[in-house]
Amino acid sequence: MRSLLLQVIAVTTINLKSIAQRLWLSLSTVVAVALVVIVLLAFLAMANGFQRTLAGSGSEDIAIFLRGGSQAEINSTVARDQVRLIEDAPGIARGGDGKPLISPELYVVVDGVKRSSQTKANLPLRGIGEQGVALRKGITISEGRMFNRGANEIVVGKGLLKEFEGFEPGKTVAFATSRWTVVGIFEAEGSVFESEIWADLPVVQSLFNRPNFVQTVRVRLESPVSIAALKSYNDNDPRLKLDVKTEAAYFADQAGQTTDLIQNLGWPLAIAMALGALAGALNTMYSSVAARAVEIATLRAIGFGGFPAFVGTLVESLVLAAIGGLIGAAATWAIFDGLTASTLGGNFTQVVFAFQLTPALIWQGVLLALAVGLIGGLFPAIRAARMPIVAGLYA
Amino acid sequence: MNDFVLVRKNLFRKKLRAGLMIVSIFVAFLIFGMLASFYRAFTVGEEVAAADRLVVVNKINFTQPLPIAYFNRVKAMEGVRQVAHLNWFGGYYQEPKNFLIVFAVEPQSYMDVYAGDLDIAPEARQAFLRERTGTLVGEAMARKWGWKVGDRLPIASNIFSQKNGARTWDMTIVGIIKPKKPQMDTNFMVFQYGYFDETRSFGKDQIGWMVLQTNASSENDKVAKAIDASFANSSYETATDTEKAFNKAFVAQIGNIALIVTLVVGAAFVTILMIVGNTMALTIRERTREIGVLKTLGFTGRRILGMVLGESVLLALLGGVPGLLLAALIAFMLRENLSNFVPGFAMTPGIAVTGLVLIVSLGLITGIIPALNAMRLRIAAALGRG
Repeated sequence: MRSLLLQVIAVTTINLKSIAQRLWLSLSTVVAVALVVIVLLAFLAMANGFQRTLAGSGSEDIAIFLRGGSQAEINSTVARDQVRLIEDAPGIARGGDGKPLISPELYVVVDGVKRSSQTKANLPLRGIGEQGVALRKGITISEGRMFNRGANEIVVGKGLLKEFEGFEPGKTVAFATSRWTVVGIFEAEGSVFESEIWADLPVVQSLFNRPNFVQTVRVRLESPVSIAALKSYNDNDPRLKLDVKTEAAYFADQAGQTTDLIQNLGWPLAIAMALGALAGALNTMYSSVAARAVEIATLRAIGFGGFPAFVGTLVESLVLAAIGGLIGAAATWAIFDGLTASTLGGNFTQVVFAFQLTPALIWQGVLLALAVGLIGGLFPAIRAARMPIVAGLYA
Repeated sequence: MNDFVLVRKNLFRKKLRAGLMIVSIFVAFLIFGMLASFYRAFTVGEEVAAADRLVVVNKINFTQPLPIAYFNRVKAMEGVRQVAHLNWFGGYYQEPKNFLIVFAVEPQSYMDVYAGDLDIAPEARQAFLRERTGTLVGEAMARKWGWKVGDRLPIASNIFSQKNGARTWDMTIVGIIKPKKPQMDTNFMVFQYGYFDETRSFGKDQIGWMVLQTNASSENDKVAKAIDASFANSSYETATDTEKAFNKAFVAQIGNIALIVTLVVGAAFVTILMIVGNTMALTIRERTREIGVLKTLGFTGRRILGMVLGESVLLALLGGVPGLLLAALIAFMLRENLSNFVPGFAMTPGIAVTGLVLIVSLGLITGIIPALNAMRLRIAAALGRG
C-alpha cells in the first residue's frame, strides 16, 4: 500500500514537472478553461446582482395593492375611493396619531439619458404619500435634503444618478412643461428604489393630470401574518377586488423572469464553451501521454503499476483545469464584480444593479472547470495505464 | 493522388486529434451562429424601419398619452403624407402570463401607413373597417395560438378595464396579417380604437403615439421640428424621431447586447484559436521529417505551404459549417417559443456569410505559422531531426 502511494506520488510529480515541456498546449487548455469560467460567472453574477437588487427591495411586513391582473405597478390603477376603503382595512399598523400607515403612490415613466449609450431610457418617477419613506427600510438622504411637500422638488436614487445624466443635485429637470429641482440624493440599501425619482404625490398627480387616481397603495402590516386578514377584507368587498400581496412576493415575481432569462443564457453558453474547452483538454492530455510514452513504459518495465500512471495523468489534467478555473474566477471578480449596469425591469423602467459574485457562484465556476479537467484527463489516463510496455519502449 | 487527397489523409492521420479539434471548432461556430441570430433579433427593428416614417410620442416618455386632437393637427401639417395612431393595450389571453402584443388603432389610417409592410387581403380590410369588434391578427400570433378567421376571442388587458367593470374585450378575428418583408415580425394583433375608446373606463380621447409617413425622407427633419414646435409649451409636448432612431433607443434600454455578444463570441474564438493553433503547430512539427522527404521528392515550398494551409482550412470548414447549420436549425426551432422575447430570431444569409468568412480566416490564421515554417524548412535540417 505504502509502495503504491509512493509510486503515485513519484509519477504525479513527474507528470506535473513535465507540463513545462508542453507549455503552449497546456497553456491553451488553462486559458480555454479560464474563458469558460469567465463567461459562466459573468452571467451568473449579472443574474445574481439583478435578483438581489429586487429581492432586497421587498419587505414581508409591507403589503401592496394593485389592480387585479395588472402584475406591475405601471399597469395598475386604484381609485381615490378605493384608497379610503383600504385605510379602514384590518391588519394595518397605525402611527402614534392613530392614522393608518399607508402610502398611495403614482408611478409615471419619464425619459432620462443613459450615460453609457447616450440614448433615452425609461425612468420611474414615483409620487409618494406622506408615509412613503417610512414604509421603506433604510432610506437615507446622502446628499442635499428631502423634497418639501407641495413643491416641485424631486430626490433621486443613488443608482439612477450613477447611470443617467442630468439629475445632479441643484439641477432643474423638465417633465413636459413642469420644471422640477433636484434637491437631494437618497440611498435605499442598494434596493430597486435607488433606481427611482421620488416626489410628493399630490404634486405629481396634478402636474401629470391624474387627480383622482393613484397606481398602488402600500401599507405597513401589524405583522407579516396580517396579510391574510387584509386579503379576505379585500376579496369580500366588491368595490375593492384588488390584488394584494406582500412587497417581498411582489418583487420576487418581478425578479423571476429577467433572472431566469439571464441564467438561461449563461448556463447553455458556458456548457457549450466547456465542450470546446474539453476537446482542448483531451487533446493536451493525449499529447502528454504520447510524449511520455517511453517514460511510462520505462517506469512500467522497472515495476511501476498502471495505476500510478493513471493517477498521474488525471492529476495533471485536474491541476491544469483548476488553475484555469481559479484564473477565470479571479478575472471575473476583478473585471465584473461591482460593475453597475441597467436594464428594463418588470415595470418597463430601468433597474440599476451591480454584478455580484458570491463564493457559491465561484464554486459553481470552479466545479465546471474541474469537470472539464476530470473528463479531459480520464480517457488519456486510462490509455496511459493500459499502454503496452513493449510498444511504449519502441515509441 | 492529388494534393487534396494528401491533405485529407494528413488531417485524419490522427483521427482522435482531428475529431477533437473539429468538435471545438463546431462548438465555437454554434455559439457564433446562435448569438449572431439573437443579436440580429434585437436590431431587426432598425432594419424594418421605413426611412420616411416618423414616430411622435409624448415628450415626457413614450408611455405617456397624447390627446386624440393631435391626430388631426398632425395630419394637416405640411410634409405629412399620412398618419396613424396606436395605443398599447397590455393584452393577455386567459391568463396574465399569456402576454399578447395588442394595439388599438384607427383601421383606415393604420392600414395606409403600414401598407408597405403588411399584406392584408381586401376582404379582411373591408371587414376590419366595418366590424366594430373586428381584429386583425398577425400570422405568427395566429399560428402560435391556433387561431383562425371567425374565431371570437376574449382579450384581457392588464392596464384597462371596461366601463361596466369587465377586464376583457370580446374580439372577432376578421383577417390575418401577413408580412411583406421576410424580417417583419407578425406576433401582434390590432383592433378598432373606436371600440376601445368608447368602452374603456378611463383615458378617453387619448392615444398612445402616432406613426406618420413624410412626403420624402429628406423632409423628415423639417417635419419633425415643425410638429414638436407646434405642440411646444402645451400640456402635452411631443418628441418626434425617425422610426429607426426610436427602435434603436428602445433596444438600448435592454442593455448593451452588442457588447455582451461580442465578448462571448470573442471568448469562444480565442479558445479555438489557441487550441487549434497550438495543435496544428504540434502536428506539423511531428511531421518535420516527412516534409523533408516531400521536398526531396521535388515538392516546392509553395506547394507545401498550400498543403498545410489547406489542411487547417479543411479542418475549420469541417467543424465550422456543421456548427453554423445546427445554429440555423436551432434558431428556426426556437423562433416561435421566443417570439414574445426576441421576435425575428433567425439566421440570415448575412450571418451565414460572415460565419463562412470567419471559418476560412480561422483556418488560415491557425495554419499560417506552421505552414510558413514548413515552407522554409531546409531538407538537411528536416531529415537530420528525429
